[in-house]
Amino acid sequence: MADPGPVHLTLLMGPRIPVPVPQPVTDALLSAQVTVTAGQRSGFQLAFDLAKHGLINRTLLPAGFFDPQTRVVLVVTVKGTPAVLMDGVIIRQEVGVSNQPGQSTLTVTGEDLTVLMDLEEHELPHPGTPPSARVAAIIARYAHYGMVPVVVPELFPQVTPPTQRVDTQKGTDLSYVTQLAKDQGYVFYLDPGPVPGVSRAYWGPEVRLGVPQHALNVNMDHLSNVDQLTFSFDGTAREEPVVRVQIPATKIASKLPVPEVSVLRPPLAARPAPALKKKVIADTAKKDAAQALAQALAKAAESADAITGSGQLDVVRYGYLLRPRELVGVRGAGITYDGLYYVKSVTHNLQRGAYTQNFTLAREGLIALYPTVVP
Amino acid sequence: MTSNPVEATPSPYPRTSRYHGVEVAVRAGHDGRQVPYLRRRLLPRPGGFVAIGEHTVSAGDRPDLLAHQYLGDAEQWWRIADANPVLDPRELTGTPGRKVRITLPEGVLTHG
Repeated sequence: MADPGPVHLTLLMGPRIPVPVPQPVTDALLSAQVTVTAGQRSGFQLAFDLAKHGLINRTLLPAGFFDPQTRVVLVVTVKGTPAVLMDGVIIRQEVGVSNQPGQSTLTVTGEDLTVLMDLEEHELPHPGTPPSARVAAIIARYAHYGMVPVVVPELFPQVTPPTQRVDTQKGTDLSYVTQLAKDQGYVFYLDPGPVPGVSRAYWGPEVRLGVPQHALNVNMDHLSNVDQLTFSFDGTAREEPVVRVQIPATKIASKLPVPEVSVLRPPLAARPAPALKKKVIADTAKKDAAQALAQALAKAAESADAITGSGQLDVVRYGYLLRPRELVGVRGAGITYDGLYYVKSVTHNLQRGAYTQNFTLAREGLIALYPTVVP
Repeated sequence: MTSNPVEATPSPYPRTSRYHGVEVAVRAGHDGRQVPYLRRRLLPRPGGFVAIGEHTVSAGDRPDLLAHQYLGDAEQWWRIADANPVLDPRELTGTPGRKVRITLPEGVLTHG
């Protein structure tokens, strides 16, 4: 794929330090798919043409070039601007051998580098450290994979004196870090880039701030850059959490006022969807107020997105790469559904001569907060 | 180009800009005013680029036309200027017959 054009894909592979792959491997690449979802692990799938006497079938495959735990870095250059799509490891490979010449394929599937944090179980005490410090210490152990921790301190300080209780990590690093994030209403994910081989390990609230990406235009004749957009409004998606805590001295249970979600995520819509359901959160009576409050906020934030949108775009027509976990504006969908959205997930579909992205958007209510969408 | 591989603060310039990732510094004036400015951006090493094509300059060529033809975006002419390496973009297409290297962006390598 070394021809000058608007889209250029670069593949790097290697046991620990990824290096550019040989030319025959690039030539054999049939398609690549990368899925990135906010608050979840990213995945990728690469399909190669498996010629009978080709370099892959005769040398690379037996030598372990495509074995599990081989690191894969995908860099895509759109109109001269590079972006790292994926920094991950291969988990499984499938070989489909066909009687038809040219139909045999090698498919490798993998996940991002957080899978390495999910391999070993530990039992580690963390005496007297807040959750954010525990997370930073855990991520620091994976620094040789280019993971750089970006950790946001929790909203309600939760340091337990070691004389009272020692928090212990049980299970894998990933499950513990994800659980800690969930308790705070935070997310944990790896964001590859800005240079190949480096990724940011982000632990904090979803970033619903910043400059929005180039707007998605639909139903606007020649100015449209999206083929189709589908929106849905689910009334039961939003739940209001009810939290009760017990005061240890008096044994009196009292209901905690649920904090406003906007401390975690700034509003994107003028008319937020009402919460139809009320949900009592279990096991909060024995926890201290700060912990219970953080959990209530986490539950409220988790179910706040009642509006979802999905669609597909052609990258060359759109002119940019739609990045997940950032804001984007929508134009042409009518008064109700126009405005800013949070990009919840993006699936990149790369093929020879075609690059499309499937995306889902989310926000908490109807009607745009601002009259215009820039840029 | 980027002084820090992982940007702690988002750059005020978009990803497609020549100044994305260039550090913002602050200078205190005589009267105590804080004047922010961009630090100097040095041309990258020419060895860090992978060539994907070559263009022979003919009369009437312009850097933005080259960028539109080879990269698909006329605003990316500075990437061609970086790779060749010239400071003044007019120098790129000034002399007909000059060979201009068309490359991938800095740091993107292929077939090592």
